[in-house]
Amino acid sequence: MSSKPVLLGVMQVKELSILLVTIAAGIYFTVTSGAFNSLDNYQTIAQYVAPWSIIAAGQVMLLICGEIDLSAGFVFTLAPFMMMQFFVNGWPLWLALLGAIVVSTLVGLANGLIRTVLGIPSFITTLGMAFLLQGLVLIISNARPVGTPKDSGVLEVFGGARWTEFLWALGVVVVMQVVLSATRFGIHTQATGGNPVGAAESGIPVNRVKVVNFAITSTLAGLAGILQGTRVGSYDPTNGGFTTMFFAVASAVIGGTALLGGSGTVAGACLGALLLGIVFDGFNLTGVSANAFNLVLGAAILGAMVLNVTLVVVRNRIGSRERT
Amino acid sequence: MGGTTVAASTLLSACTGVQEAQNGGNSGPFPSTPGWRFAFVNHVTTNSFFVPTRSGLTDASALLGVPEPQWTGSENGNVAQMASAMETAINSKVDGIAVALTDDNAFVELTKRALGAGIPVIAYNANAAGNYPLTYVGQDLYLSGFRMGQRIAQKVTSGDIIVGISQPGGNNVQPRLDGITDALKQSAPGVRIQSVNTGAEQAGELNAMTAAYTGNTAVKGIYAVDAGSTAACAKLIADRKLSGKIGGGGFDLLDDTVTGVKDGALDFTIDQSPYLQGFLSVLYLYLFRLSGTLVAPPVTDTGLTFVTKENVGPYASARSRFEGGDNKAVIAMPGSIPLPPPSVLSR
Repeated sequence: MSSKPVLLGVMQVKELSILLVTIAAGIYFTVTSGAFNSLDNYQTIAQYVAPWSIIAAGQVMLLICGEIDLSAGFVFTLAPFMMMQFFVNGWPLWLALLGAIVVSTLVGLANGLIRTVLGIPSFITTLGMAFLLQGLVLIISNARPVGTPKDSGVLEVFGGARWTEFLWALGVVVVMQVVLSATRFGIHTQATGGNPVGAAESGIPVNRVKVVNFAITSTLAGLAGILQGTRVGSYDPTNGGFTTMFFAVASAVIGGTALLGGSGTVAGACLGALLLGIVFDGFNLTGVSANAFNLVLGAAILGAMVLNVTLVVVRNRIGSRERT
Repeated sequence: MGGTTVAASTLLSACTGVQEAQNGGNSGPFPSTPGWRFAFVNHVTTNSFFVPTRSGLTDASALLGVPEPQWTGSENGNVAQMASAMETAINSKVDGIAVALTDDNAFVELTKRALGAGIPVIAYNANAAGNYPLTYVGQDLYLSGFRMGQRIAQKVTSGDIIVGISQPGGNNVQPRLDGITDALKQSAPGVRIQSVNTGAEQAGELNAMTAAYTGNTAVKGIYAVDAGSTAACAKLIADRKLSGKIGGGGFDLLDDTVTGVKDGALDFTIDQSPYLQGFLSVLYLYLFRLSGTLVAPPVTDTGLTFVTKENVGPYASARSRFEGGDNKAVIAMPGSIPLPPPSVLSR
């Protein structure tokens, strides 16, 4: 047995280069901050990563089929308030939570139907939906934060107990990766973005695929919102929003999903979120103050992407040399 | 990491290095200490209101010979992000944390964890019930609103007034509105308050205030309980040439607000000394550590200074570092000092 085929196999894993960059970032912060490698800090990083990778798991599907959901961040904000709305009106908590998730799904369904039936681009459809939802949140909440219900076993599972938010994120990533790469629906999603005309002509229900993916993204965003609010102990109308949505999309793109559709992986997006989480946490840990923070964050993202692209080129070169 | 990042962080760490070299780790009569690192968790890190706060914490840390505290949190009031920043500070074993408690629940467990790990936590700028900070350094928000209400009652005794508020329910503004409401109920029950939700963006605040005034031009006064809305009040009153005809006033010292007081559009604005919120927080954390908890930090109301036409002079001309300007020079004292409100003893 030569090691060459194994090496070649590893080299072909799409996520390899972003994994290497993430490891490099981890090493950098291990060297610069003594507190980086501690269980408590891993938990903090997991808290950054969880919401981004859950929303990104949906956004990857949408991006692959050539769409985007800008309203996901506000579904994230809305879901906990919908839950509390149901809860204070006498629903048991588990039902209220389910209700909030269903409302999130319906928002995605509306996005998808407006996109496909009326043919309005998803950028403007979901932008409009984003503002609409933001207004709705402010009205429902009266712009006030609400404390999470106390002593609830249901909420312990949904972000209340330590690590549960991250476990949900891992679960979502695994399930969505399987859906994407091993189901007929996943293949249809990739075909829809890669070659829309060909996909439609070969009998793939392109529009239905898109609507379902809008619904999935929205559902996941709602789940992520409830998880994060519960973990923090407060549902706040300033949580989520465009910032969270952009970090999710950035995670997907950093993780190798093409902005123009056709290709991408959920696992890659999760690694992208991990890279962002490590960088975000790391610079806070090393004591970078607010004014310089975004400068350093931006430079790190650019630097990481340059490194990533370089690695891909190197990999392809080695790969083609090995094959010949 | 990429070259740019390395360059940027080298640059930054070089800056810190210079800072530390200047501060030899001891100060005046105090023994030399380790370079205690303090972290400030803030809800709007890049907002201009907090520029003097940051000057204050920089000055205090330079005075005491400790590194400049980290200024972190969220740019746009995101509580989850603030909580993560505070958690990161705890993980990195900082020597003290000052946090703006803009949420009732999000910081309770974190504060307990920090105190449990021997990290002192104090609240500054915004306080919340049911939390466990060692103290609060900032304005007593309800009291400031109550005093403002009494002040309004001297001028307006009946009719409607508009009160702008950037974030109804927000821990850093709502108590002021409650204070105004209660004071007017006591002193001028004929006055009806119409509160206007102005949102957090300054341009939007002016639009909201203007719309509210246009809908009710018979109002007897236009007031606000946050910095941006107060500046909007000043602009609105000046634009509609209402100076002197109706009451106006509010909080903080944005440029438009100071100009408004100087030109007579606003009767007053209230200074809560953001400089002291940074300066005293660092001082308190330092002394608490230095004395091994013996010098417990006192609750400090940083201010209820009514800035009026009589004392607005230095605010309008000094561009002082203490109020967010860039002037570090000594500011000349005025020839006479206006009388403060008479002292009241609680019994």
